[in-house]
Amino acid sequence: MNRLHPRVRVVWAAQAAVAAAVLTAITVAVDRLAVDLPVWAPPAVLVVVLGVGVGLALARYRVWRYEVRDDALYLERGVFTRVQTVVPFVRLQHVDSSRGPVERLLGLASAVVYTAGSRGADVRIPGLTPAGADDLRERLKRLAIRAEGEDAV
Amino acid sequence: MKLSPLSVPYRVVERGASVVFTAAILFSGASAAFGPAGGPLAVALVGLGLLGLVAYEVTYYRRFAYALDEETLDIRSGVVSRRNREIPLRRVQNVDISRNVVQRALGIAVVDFETAGGSETEASLRFVAFEEAKRLQGEIGRLKRGEDVDDEGEGPATTELFALAPRELALVGALSFDARVPGLLILLLSGSVPAVSSLLPAGSGRLLLAAGVVALVLGAVLVAWAAGAVVAVLNYYDFRLARVGDELQYERGLLRRYDGSIPLDKVQTLTVTDNPLKRAFGYAALRIETAGYAPGSGPGEGGSEAAVPLATRDRVFDLANHIEAFGSPAFERPPRRVRSRYAIRYLLAIGVLVGLLYGADLLVARSVPWYGPAALALLAPVAAHLKWKHRGYWLGEDHLVTRNGVLRRRIKVVPYYRVQTVIDTRTVFQRRWGVATVTADTAGSLSLTGHDAAAVDVDAATAERLRTTLETRLRTALATRRGWVDGADDADENLDSDTGAGTEDETDP
Repeated sequence: MNRLHPRVRVVWAAQAAVAAAVLTAITVAVDRLAVDLPVWAPPAVLVVVLGVGVGLALARYRVWRYEVRDDALYLERGVFTRVQTVVPFVRLQHVDSSRGPVERLLGLASAVVYTAGSRGADVRIPGLTPAGADDLRERLKRLAIRAEGEDAV
Repeated sequence: MKLSPLSVPYRVVERGASVVFTAAILFSGASAAFGPAGGPLAVALVGLGLLGLVAYEVTYYRRFAYALDEETLDIRSGVVSRRNREIPLRRVQNVDISRNVVQRALGIAVVDFETAGGSETEASLRFVAFEEAKRLQGEIGRLKRGEDVDDEGEGPATTELFALAPRELALVGALSFDARVPGLLILLLSGSVPAVSSLLPAGSGRLLLAAGVVALVLGAVLVAWAAGAVVAVLNYYDFRLARVGDELQYERGLLRRYDGSIPLDKVQTLTVTDNPLKRAFGYAALRIETAGYAPGSGPGEGGSEAAVPLATRDRVFDLANHIEAFGSPAFERPPRRVRSRYAIRYLLAIGVLVGLLYGADLLVARSVPWYGPAALALLAPVAAHLKWKHRGYWLGEDHLVTRNGVLRRRIKVVPYYRVQTVIDTRTVFQRRWGVATVTADTAGSLSLTGHDAAAVDVDAATAERLRTTLETRLRTALATRRGWVDGADDADENLDSDTGAGTEDETDP
């Protein structure tokens, strides 16, 4: 079982920080424009949201696992709701590697796997090194071609 | 090939109706604005508009060409922006023909081609002669089977699988409610309530108003029922489903006639639904889902799907078994302990409701019987038991069959080779009870609403086993199927005996 790159925690924490900043700004705006909130409200929002976000990031990292098996991609994730997904290679429609702004800043990348299904139609594996994401994409592509069936639906 | 020449006048009239309607408004507006000179001006404008429309439709007709060859359906179309399309026949999921009363009188029809991509109809021929439409439908079926185009005439044998009995049609009508019409009526009438109430004598006002409201509600229900019955009868009149070669063909409708084909090898899942009433009387409904579209979300009015609206349970299961031979499922229920889980869940919901009512009671300071819902707590164990009783899954030879829901029970049949991904989810609460939900995701679009085939609340160890089993069975079933697809010549015979028995567990080199 592979784990994600440890730095992915920083990515998630940064995302939590962005969310916390936005929510704090909203609290401040509400305080100024509408209702008078206690003085401690904005910092409290900041601390709570940031704390929960960082905690979630750490927990998420501990849970996340993935594995390229003989004929399927296996993923395990989810802090509160534990989700285990099996994506058989025969079902792969296409594979992307993508890098968001925060990911680029921290030198990480994700791979996104698409199937024709309706619910698990796209599965994202975050926290890969750019080379690792490209490798994974290539590897999955080869495996998908090898397992190519007549029709993917 | 060209469209039917009759499509030009039909389309002109179809579109022209709206032009004339606008014209009537313009006319009255213009004569008001410009006095006597406005009339002729408006007439001239309308004439110009109609002329433009005719020119457009004639050009559309002249530009529109389609051709069916061995591999693809080619369509060239477009007046302003031109479009050439090639649709690989292998990718066509459904071919639907529909005709309304006027089209039937003219002998023309709309042909819609569905593919798996996107939610919209891939291509639509508006309009071709009905015989041509049937020819296209048959030809596409034949070409997909890889038969020779030349040996026309005899064609594959047609077996009628299902025909809706008049009794069943009557039942469908009697059990259908269409809330749209009364909703509209209420919306229109609600404005007149103050006006009506002001007309009533002051003393008797309240009583009369109450009676009026009751009458209105009763009327709405009646109208909904009547509308539902009419719609159902119009939709399902003379519903029949037949098997032609390896395709299903259906026909239905009283005024607007639908006529469609579904390749059997594109069927994703089958869903048998019922409710307590239907269960008590031994009835059920069946929906056949392809990746093209799902029943209900289908194109056109009310969806041109092949769904059996109501039939006796035996007939439904016979039909379902004919389409996907899954046998008679022996469902495995979740562990008994989940009943306590459901009971606790219901009790919590009741508790929240009581709490809310109590809060409301405090706020308005009136003696509302806020403790009323607490009586429901007595029902919680019963409801929990029922919920548990109607849950289950079954691993068949070639199919996963799942069952969920009490008030609206769904039995979903998923062939192993249709499974896209296998998802195992465990919420915090499920982990406490040591259970898990295993979902088999398919490409069917009905699943978008969250009604995937899922074995809910199975034991954690069972979930583990189920997941690996589904994965291996998908692989074996696909390997068998691929073997079948490679020998495309004898595709027909093998469709019936498409069992997963051949367990050659190798992938292509």
